[in-house]
Amino acid sequence: MIDIILKDMWSPIAFILVLVLTALVAYMFYSLGNPAYKRTKHKGEPFISGNAPPKDVRLIHVGGDNVFWGFTHALRKYLDPLVKGHTGILNDYVYWMVITMALVLIYVYILI
Amino acid sequence: MSLDLVNASPAFILGIPLLFAFLTPLADRISKELRDAVFMIGLLLTVLFVAVMSYEVFTAEGWAYVFGAEETGEITRFSFFRIMFVADGFAALATITVAITALGAGIYSFAFMEGQSGMEKFYTLFLLTLAGVNGMILTADLFNLFVWFEVTSIASCGLVAFINYKGKSVEAALKYMFISVIGGLFLLLSIGLLYGEYGILNYFAIAESVNGGVVDRVALSIILVVLAMKASSVPMHMWAPDVYTESPGAVTPFIAITSLGSLFVLFRILFVVFRYSVSTAALGGLLIILGLLSMFVGVSMALKQSDVKRLIAYLSVSQIGYMLLAVGVGFSTLENGDYATFGALALEGGFFHMINDGVYKALLFLSAAAIVYSTGTRNLNKLGGLAHRMPYTTMFFLIGGLSIAGIPPLSGFSSKLLIYKSIYLYHPILAIIALVVSIITFALIGKVFYNAFLGPDLGLSKGEVPTTMLLAMGILTAVVVVFSLFPNYVVAEIVVPAVEALGVTA
Repeated sequence: MIDIILKDMWSPIAFILVLVLTALVAYMFYSLGNPAYKRTKHKGEPFISGNAPPKDVRLIHVGGDNVFWGFTHALRKYLDPLVKGHTGILNDYVYWMVITMALVLIYVYILI
Repeated sequence: MSLDLVNASPAFILGIPLLFAFLTPLADRISKELRDAVFMIGLLLTVLFVAVMSYEVFTAEGWAYVFGAEETGEITRFSFFRIMFVADGFAALATITVAITALGAGIYSFAFMEGQSGMEKFYTLFLLTLAGVNGMILTADLFNLFVWFEVTSIASCGLVAFINYKGKSVEAALKYMFISVIGGLFLLLSIGLLYGEYGILNYFAIAESVNGGVVDRVALSIILVVLAMKASSVPMHMWAPDVYTESPGAVTPFIAITSLGSLFVLFRILFVVFRYSVSTAALGGLLIILGLLSMFVGVSMALKQSDVKRLIAYLSVSQIGYMLLAVGVGFSTLENGDYATFGALALEGGFFHMINDGVYKALLFLSAAAIVYSTGTRNLNKLGGLAHRMPYTTMFFLIGGLSIAGIPPLSGFSSKLLIYKSIYLYHPILAIIALVVSIITFALIGKVFYNAFLGPDLGLSKGEVPTTMLLAMGILTAVVVVFSLFPNYVVAEIVVPAVEALGVTA
């Protein structure tokens, strides 16, 4: 079974060879580019609707909670109660263990 | 090496860390260098005996080591009344996982903990935890399991609270201690029930006696819940993010490995003790439920985290879910014809994922600790641009992160592929859920990588971490790479013997 799944379906060595080949093809296209192009000091700076980028680099980097904000905001009705349930209170941790034990006891008694 | 030394290797795997745990404070009285050397020798000798035991198991066959037997390896009718250690494929898989993580965390500790006072106590606690986890894995005696469970809990609580910052680590340790004590007492209750019923504590002897009666069911439920709690399965996972976040960075992977050790013990007890006295389909269903909850809740909570260690801690909870799910599917097929079709594959995927998870999770926690070491913050809202000054840590984190997300060609992908394939045949919806969780995991790793390492250099980092810390992460990375490049070999030589050791054949 393993032979079928891993040997016939998945070969990491072949995958890496394909990656290397792809990189070589990409490099070939890259090397076809304009050789007269020169890097400028503005390369890599963010484009903010034509406004000059801020000098403070901390204002350029959008990170932390802003990443995936839209995704987590859209899921807030699911995520907020979940976060609220994680109270950090030790009593609650024990409650959850005892409640789970009771449920598992019922499950095991009835079904197993 | 004589044959007796090989046969007694399970005892040495425990005895050496126990001995060296109490040698390090003595060595500290002479010099700090000697103390460090004694700790490292103890650690390396333990790893060596894990290698010796595993090599013997993989090349010959497993055996039971009975303490106090007149001849090493001898099994008599009195053996079941003595403490027995089992050296088989499953124990080898588990102890290899623990050994790799312990080696990484141990080497990492040298530089990370430099300047801390009371380091002789730190090393003692470290080696006691190592002995405790290995004891839990190797023993085939329920009361002995309780003893090692307590040793692990007490020693690892000490490790969690070792560096106190505004009382947060002490609070985390207190929570861990309390929940572990409650769990330990429940475990003792279940052991007492089984002992009262059958008058014996050996796994194999109890397996011949259990009949699925009320006492057996109560004991099974308690053991399952306590070990699942210790493995940080949802909904009993809440202690884990607190503990993983506040523990010293060098030992966080080691604390996490105690959770994985509990999972190994849970699977051993389910397969060896209760397999023939319960409905495996229903019990497997219970593991599947716990697995799905862990996967989904773990990754959902990770979405809301802005603390890098806490985020990885929730991903760790999520990964535990994959193992519960895969082994649950495998366990549920034991009584029907599906075992040969996909049950064995599910078990192999689950066990392969356990060793993978142990290694890449350790790598991720150590990379996160390197971030904290270099910048002094865990807050993703403040981090950025670390790749400019920490190129090696960036590479290590990327490899660990892509592996936990199951991105080819890394090791996490190989084990997840086995899991996807097998659980799809059990029920397609399970495979879809597992895939969705993997995609979110990838997104979260991308979030951490982008936040912490990419972007302009914010000047937060003091530079790359010391060489020993890089060496530790390098060792774990090398293991991830080897597992990634040769998954067939790992599965055939390490994982399949572990499945067969649990007495299941296709």
